[in-house]
Amino acid sequence: MATLLRPVLRRLCGLPGLQRPAAEMPLRARSDGAGPLYSHHLPTSPLQKGLLAAGSAAMALYNPYRHDMVAVLGETTGHRTLKVLRDQMRRDPEGAQILQERPRISTSTLDLGKLQSLPEGSLGREYLRFLDVNGHCFPYDTRAPTRFVDDEELAYVIQRYREVHDMLHTLLGMPTNILGEIVVKWFEAVQTGLPMCILGAFFGPIRLGAQSLQVLVSELIPWAVQNGRRAPCVLNLYYERRWEQSLRALREELGITAPPMHVQGLA
Amino acid sequence: MAAPGSCALWSYCGRGWSRAMRGCQLLGLRSSWPGDLLSARLLSQEKRAAETHFGFETVSEEEKGGKVYQVFESVAKKYDVMNDMMSLGIHRVWKDLLLWKMHPLPGTQLLDVAGGTGDIAFRFLNYVQSQHQRKQKRQLRAQQNLSWEEIAKEYQNEEDSLGGSRVVVCDINKEMLKVGKQKALAQGYRAGLAWVLGDAEELPFDDDKFDIYTIAFGIRNVTHIDQEAHRVLKPGGRFLCLEFSQVNNPLISRLYDLYSFQVIPVLGEVIAGDWKSYQYLVESIRRFPSQEEFKDMIEDAGFHKVTYESLTSGIVAIHSGFKL
Repeated sequence: MATLLRPVLRRLCGLPGLQRPAAEMPLRARSDGAGPLYSHHLPTSPLQKGLLAAGSAAMALYNPYRHDMVAVLGETTGHRTLKVLRDQMRRDPEGAQILQERPRISTSTLDLGKLQSLPEGSLGREYLRFLDVNGHCFPYDTRAPTRFVDDEELAYVIQRYREVHDMLHTLLGMPTNILGEIVVKWFEAVQTGLPMCILGAFFGPIRLGAQSLQVLVSELIPWAVQNGRRAPCVLNLYYERRWEQSLRALREELGITAPPMHVQGLA
Repeated sequence: MAAPGSCALWSYCGRGWSRAMRGCQLLGLRSSWPGDLLSARLLSQEKRAAETHFGFETVSEEEKGGKVYQVFESVAKKYDVMNDMMSLGIHRVWKDLLLWKMHPLPGTQLLDVAGGTGDIAFRFLNYVQSQHQRKQKRQLRAQQNLSWEEIAKEYQNEEDSLGGSRVVVCDINKEMLKVGKQKALAQGYRAGLAWVLGDAEELPFDDDKFDIYTIAFGIRNVTHIDQEAHRVLKPGGRFLCLEFSQVNNPLISRLYDLYSFQVIPVLGEVIAGDWKSYQYLVESIRRFPSQEEFKDMIEDAGFHKVTYESLTSGIVAIHSGFKL
């Protein structure tokens, strides 16, 4: 049997796939330090990132229910912006703590019972109410882990940004219908500068009706932009330590005013 | 070679590949596969269960079956769309060429293994049906001076429109079979078609049952099927395999690699939301032996008159052998 194996082995090592120089080896075996950096990480080349960004943008527009495509778009286009965000978080004391301790907001880390017991008007209680009113579902892109960011810390930053999204809904008092989402996207675009937010802010309204569009442009967007510019970066807030803080006090601290009108009925 | 010997050789080849791979320093990556707890094993000296490849990972043979099942379970619904997008529709031509090479005669019993969504089976039925219709037309034309009543009776006979041909689609994956059955309903294929859930390595059929055994784009996902293929074929039966193979042109090979590794996983992510399954796909293609090697392996399994034909510069190849 050994004599039969030898020619097989020789032939196998002669297979084109094995003799290629390192540069041409398929991606997973590439040795430019790009093995997986964190769990779920998928190392990608610049070409792949470009294709992913284009493809996910197109797919997200074509099928708005593909929230995973929005997430992928954010990951593949946000590298530079995430660095800026991360540096800015490091400069802020509360932000630096977040980067160090890496808290996560998810169904497994939230103590819903404790939040329930908090007084009315507190951040925790209002957040819980928001979840209840909007069907207690975390948006898909919150649950999906980061995959295409090629830096472990930046991967956390974008994950934090996604998990903070619901907080922003609560802070701004925006529901999770299309209009509310667009308003929050505008706020985030001004605050974070992530290309995905900017794209979402400009392309999201494509599917809106004329009436909603008018309300959006005339009142909601200016309000969101104003608040976004005035408020300090929302990623720097350690929400997990502020559950007991009154929502009103928090809004005052951030300079967030009441929304111009109740958005629930529209869109 | 006698069947038991050939089976041993096949499994040796499986082990030989993984040893060769290790020698060539492939990384054993820790991949967090959805729902799967196992990562690629580290090197160790002690004796282990027979190993094989799963893309660029090395896994035991039992593991491979499970992992492949998960891959196809997750891709089943988008399988056909993805095939079209990835091959820009060329896979249809390849499958047509397989049928053309097959030239089934009326009354052929075909077994299509790993036939999942039914592409080969439907083409077979179309071919056989049109063949039968042509035959009928020829017969009628040959008979001169028929009265209208006789012609009407001829058409009313309702005889088997397939001329006795039957196709059995066998696949291990329930999801793929489900998609196939839905397609059959949608496209109106009813007669002459059977769907069987079965393992290619242990086919639920008797010996000497089929005239033709085909496996299109399935053989790289299984480990040892040669013995079973040989068993269920009638003497004189034909083994046909359509599979990705080694490209013989260096320029096209580079373009093909670039396309495979850069574009296909991206397509998988954007269209099907599944990067990893399509990464597995392009890797498993690279691990598959070349045309000549595969021909030797088929010969070792006991088939005679083994030939192959490369299509599209060797991106795919059709191998054919006979049980004599």
